[in-house]
Amino acid sequence: MTGRRVSGGDMPNFSRRTGQDASGIPDPAFAALLAAGTPPADPSAPMQHVADALAALRAAPASDEAAGKTAALAQFRQHVGVSSHPIRSRRRRPTLLSPLLSAKAAAVAAVAVVGLGGVATAAFANALPSAAQKFAHDTIGAPSPHASRNAHPGDNANAGHSGTPVGPNASGPAAFGLCTAYSNATQHGTAAQKAVAFRNLEKAAGGAANVASFCASVTHPGASATPGSGAPTSHPTGEPTSHPTGAPTSHPTGAPTSLPTGPPSNG
Amino acid sequence: MIGAGFAELLAAAQDGDEEAFTQLWLDANSALLRYLWVTAPEAAEDIAADTWVYAIRGLPRFRGDEAAWRAWLFTTARRRTVDQARRRSRLADVPIQDLPASRLPAVADPADVALEHISTRAVIALLARLPPLQAEVILLRVVAGLDTEAVARLVRRSPGAVRVAAHRGLRKLAQILTEAGVTL
Repeated sequence: MTGRRVSGGDMPNFSRRTGQDASGIPDPAFAALLAAGTPPADPSAPMQHVADALAALRAAPASDEAAGKTAALAQFRQHVGVSSHPIRSRRRRPTLLSPLLSAKAAAVAAVAVVGLGGVATAAFANALPSAAQKFAHDTIGAPSPHASRNAHPGDNANAGHSGTPVGPNASGPAAFGLCTAYSNATQHGTAAQKAVAFRNLEKAAGGAANVASFCASVTHPGASATPGSGAPTSHPTGEPTSHPTGAPTSHPTGAPTSLPTGPPSNG
Repeated sequence: MIGAGFAELLAAAQDGDEEAFTQLWLDANSALLRYLWVTAPEAAEDIAADTWVYAIRGLPRFRGDEAAWRAWLFTTARRRTVDQARRRSRLADVPIQDLPASRLPAVADPADVALEHISTRAVIALLARLPPLQAEVILLRVVAGLDTEAVARLVRRSPGAVRVAAHRGLRKLAQILTEAGVTL
């Protein structure tokens, strides 16, 4: 081997630039070694050196390479660990199913939120018909229909107020959300079907068998051509309980209409 | 590399399983360190830790096979290395021959390398004597387990340039080891 000398070489060594002649190893042998880590069947000495070196690079983790494990595990617990994801921690569940189930649960929740979203705004303004306001009070903590306005007892006639939980008016704006939830419960749930809302939906539809056709006629509240049915019969009274915070987003434009009089005071 | 069990380990780790995460971490952390000991010898452990901070945050959303996982980790580590190098304004890429002797890793006397039991650290020290691109490309191929195309994307060179750099580096490695008088 007439390659680079270890010391005292005053001539530049050009052999490395031309490649192959320095080690006698052809490129395909390197390519195979890089890809699979397997040296040729009858390797030359230089080839064997390289194969050994690469094998050492691929060696199993050494103890001094595990120094940061505690810190990494602490990070992991904080961001991914069981404590922050209690629902995802059940490992008995088939792994493949879990994303599907989570996705489905998210979809149901999303539908419920969308179905209720517009209604919720109105509910907190206490502007829904009484039965719906009652539902909103029971489910999302909106003011009760009797709380802060002069109630019209007649509005509440259908609610059957007798101390037991009462579902929403299934023929009202909540029907869409109820239908969505109901169809999901009939496919996947058992206990959920016992909820008051579902019984009411069954009642409104005239039995479980009719729910499908009933729900088929229910339109998305947001897509309805006739939103609402008339103006609310009463209006909120009293001061609002919250006030805007933060700066206004628009500012006055134009010159002031009145000008200061007198000289500024010298402070 | 973990191989066949990777998908299962990843899913378990994403589910919060600490044992699965530990296996992923041990496997990839040693690879990261071996890479960083050459490319950022003064900050290897710090950069590896930084890389994991980022990786753990992204872990629940990560989708892909082991090659994608490794590419993601090493891309992150490389970015951190570049940032670190900028901060420290370290020496730019210069040929090994032009480096002052004091900059060379201390271990790398090839004669000390016993090939029958060649140690990982000894090879890392030898790789540090190669031109930076050659050393990096070899590490990304061998230690990170990435293919030529993935390495090319990572170092922003063409696959052809990556191939040439890897082969030149290996050739030089063979030469160093052979010239050191280690014969089989």
